[in-house]
Amino acid sequence: MAENAVQREAVLSLRETIARIENRRLPGVVKAVKAADPAGFRRKEEGSQASGRKVLPLGIPELDDILEGGLPLEGMTEIRNSETRDAGAAAGFATALSALCQQARRQKGDVGAPVLWISQSLASTEAGLPYGLGLKAYGLDIRSLILSLPRTVKDALWIAETALSVPAFCAVILEIRGNPASLALSESRRLHVRARAGRIPLLLLRQSGHEEASSAFFRLHIEPAPARERPLPDGSMLCGSIGHPVFHVIAEKSRSPAPVGLFLEWNPHDRRFYPVEPLPAAAAADPEPAHSIARLSASSGRPGGADTLGHLVAFPRAS
Amino acid sequence: MRLVALDGLAEKSGFQLGQGVAEARAMCPEVDVLPADRAADRALLEGLADWCSRYTPMVALDGESGLYLDITGCAHLLGGEKSLLDDLLARLFHLGIEARAAISSSAGLSWAVARFGSQSVIAPEEAARVLAPLPMAALRLATETIETLGRVGLKQVGDIIEAPRAPLARRFGSTLLLRLDQAMGLEDEPLSPRLAVASLSAERRLSEPVQGEDDILGLTQELAARLKPELEKRGEGGRLFELLLFRVDGRVFRIAAGTSSPLIEPGRVAGLFRERLQAVHDDLDAGFGFEILRLSVPKSEKYEVMQEDFSGTPDRQRPLAAFADRVMARLGAESLFLPVLSESHVPERAAVFQPLADVEMLKTVEEAAPNVPASLLVASVRPQRLFQSPEPVEAVAEVPEGPPRSFRWRRSLHRIARAEGPERIAAEWWVDGETAAERDYFRVEDERGRRFWLFREGHYGGPTQPRWFMHGVFA
Repeated sequence: MAENAVQREAVLSLRETIARIENRRLPGVVKAVKAADPAGFRRKEEGSQASGRKVLPLGIPELDDILEGGLPLEGMTEIRNSETRDAGAAAGFATALSALCQQARRQKGDVGAPVLWISQSLASTEAGLPYGLGLKAYGLDIRSLILSLPRTVKDALWIAETALSVPAFCAVILEIRGNPASLALSESRRLHVRARAGRIPLLLLRQSGHEEASSAFFRLHIEPAPARERPLPDGSMLCGSIGHPVFHVIAEKSRSPAPVGLFLEWNPHDRRFYPVEPLPAAAAADPEPAHSIARLSASSGRPGGADTLGHLVAFPRAS
Repeated sequence: MRLVALDGLAEKSGFQLGQGVAEARAMCPEVDVLPADRAADRALLEGLADWCSRYTPMVALDGESGLYLDITGCAHLLGGEKSLLDDLLARLFHLGIEARAAISSSAGLSWAVARFGSQSVIAPEEAARVLAPLPMAALRLATETIETLGRVGLKQVGDIIEAPRAPLARRFGSTLLLRLDQAMGLEDEPLSPRLAVASLSAERRLSEPVQGEDDILGLTQELAARLKPELEKRGEGGRLFELLLFRVDGRVFRIAAGTSSPLIEPGRVAGLFRERLQAVHDDLDAGFGFEILRLSVPKSEKYEVMQEDFSGTPDRQRPLAAFADRVMARLGAESLFLPVLSESHVPERAAVFQPLADVEMLKTVEEAAPNVPASLLVASVRPQRLFQSPEPVEAVAEVPEGPPRSFRWRRSLHRIARAEGPERIAAEWWVDGETAAERDYFRVEDERGRRFWLFREGHYGGPTQPRWFMHGVFA
C-alpha cells in the first residue's frame, strides 16, 4: 500500500515535470501541488489561474485561445514575416505587444520600465530604423525605449541574454534578419530558458525568415492587411482614407492552431487590439510575386520531385 | 641621406651625426644603415614611458629621446633614490635599452647630468659644483646661443654661474639665465605628465607572473576591494576605471572601462573588466605573464549610498546601470541608444538616437516633457520605421502633383490601392540651403495592405524633374 503511494507520488511528480517542460497546463496536478505548498504562503496568481505561467490577456478571445490565455510574460514568443517589405507590419505587431506590456506594468504602478529593442544592424538597414515619432504616435512610451544596434547576430544574442538576466526591462525585442546559423534550436532554447528565469517577455522578431523549429512558446506569422477607413464623428467612414493598421495574424506554432488566421486592428489611442472583418478585396487578392517578372515555363518531361509522405513532424533546419 | 642616429660602435668608428650616408660608406664599406622611423621611435619612447609608470605615475616625455620622472614621494618605496636608479637602469639594461639617468632636485640639472655628467644622485646643495664643469650644451640652449657663447670664451657652465647677470641677459637673451636658474633649482620648472594622474590607484606586484584571464580578474577584484574603503571615505564612485598590466618583457597594456553611474562594488568592477578582456581579447597578448597589476580611478563622481526599501518595487536604476556597463564595456560606448525628439519638421531630424552615456539620462528624459508641440505629434502621420537615407523608387502618378498609382521599389512592383496626402514638408533653409527642394509626403497602401511613406522631391515644371523616394514603412 505504502509502496503504491510512493509510486503514485513519483509518477505524479514526473508528470508535473513533463508538463512544466512542455509548458502545458495540467490543472489537477498543478493545483494539487499548489495547495500543498509546504511553506504555507500562496503566491498571488496573475493571469490564468490554472497554469503557473504569467500571461497578458490581449482582450480577443480567439487570439487568447491560441496563446493559451494571452501573451506569455515569461518566455519567448516568435514573430515572423516572410518578406522584407512586410517588416513594418511585424515590427508594428511587436511594438504593439510591448506597448501592452508597458501598459500592464504601469497599471501595476511600475512606471518607466524600459523596453529594449535589439536590432541587428543588417535588419535595421534593410527594413529601416525604428522611428521615435512614429513609435510614439503608435502608443509606445519612447521615453523608456532603449535601442541597441549590434553588428553581428552573436553580439545581438549576447545583449539579449545579458538583458534577460537583469530585472529591469519590461520587454525585450530581438530583431534578427533571416535564419542565421547562430540562432538555431539550441540557441533559441537558451534564450527561452533565460527569459523564463528572468521573467521577462522576449519577442523574437524574425524578419523575412523561414519557419524553423524553435523553443518559443508560440510563433506568429504576421502579414499586413488593408486598413479600414478612418471613422468620421457622425459614424460614417471617410472614403479613401487609411485608418489604423490591420494585421493578419497566423499562428504557426501553437497548441490550438488556427490556420486561417485572425485580422486584428491596433488602435494606438486605446492601446488595444480590435478584431476586424477582412475586407473582401484582401481575401480575394492574388499574392503578387516579389519579383513581378515573367517566369520561364516549367520544365516538362521529368518528374517534379516526389511528394512528401506522412505528417510534417519537424521543419528542416532553415538556418 | 644623412645619419641621424649612431650606436656606440659607430661613434667609436668616428662617424658624425649629419654625415652623408655615401661618405659613411666610403669610410667604412660594411656599415649597416637603417632608415629612420620617427613614428616607431616615438612609440618605443611612449612604451617606455608606460613602463616607467611602475616607479611613479608622473612621467613626462622629453623630446625624442628622454623621459622625465617626477619621483617626489616615490623613492622610499624602492629603498631610496640610489636603489631606485639602480633598479631602473638594471631593468632597462635587461630590456636591451642603453639608458643614462640622474636624480636631482631639478629637472634641468638631471637633464644635464644624465647627458654630460657622471654622477647619478645629486644632493640639492651640490648643484653648482656639479654643474660648473659641464659644457654649455648641458643647459638646453639653442645651438646658435652655444656658438656665440663659445666665441667669447664661455665654454663651461661654471663660466657664467658667477658672472654678472645683467650683461649676460642683455647680450644673450633671458633664456640663458632662465635655463641656468632652472638647472640650479632657483626657478621652478613644471613637468607636464603624459597622462593625467589618477586620484586613486592600487597596485599589486607579483613574484610569479600571471597569464590567465581568471587570475587577472581575481586580482582586479582584490585591487578594487582595496580601493573601496578610500572611495567610500570620499563619498565617491568611479566613473572610469583603468587597469594597467605590466608584462614581464616591459610592454604595458592599459585597459579602460567606463561606467554609466558611479561604481564602488569590487564584484561589478571585476565584471566590467571581464567584458573588456573579452572585447580586447586578441590585442591582449599575455606572453610570459604580467608581473604588476594596477587599478586606478581616473574619473570619479559623487556616489549616493542607497538603502534597500521594503516597498516591494524593485530598484531599477542599479540593474539597468549594471546592464549598460556590461554592454558598453564589451561592445563600445556607442552600442545603446535613446530616442530623442527635437523641434524640426524634417522627419530624419525630428527624432534621432543619442548614445546612452549615463543611466541618469533615462530619468531626466522621463521628467523633462519633450518640448515638441503636442499638435505635431498627434496630427501628423509618421511611420514606425524610417530609412536612414530615403531610397529612390520609380513611381507613376496619375496626375502630375497627385499621389502615385504604382511604384517599383527594390525591383518589385507595388500597385497602390489608397493614398493619403500630400503633406508638404519644406526643407530647412538654414541647414540645407535655400535651393533644397520641398518634399510632398504620401501615405500609401498597396493592394496587399502594406503601408508605405513615399515622397516626391521637387515639382513638375520645376528646374529639375521631380524624383520619388521611399522613406518609411508603416505598421
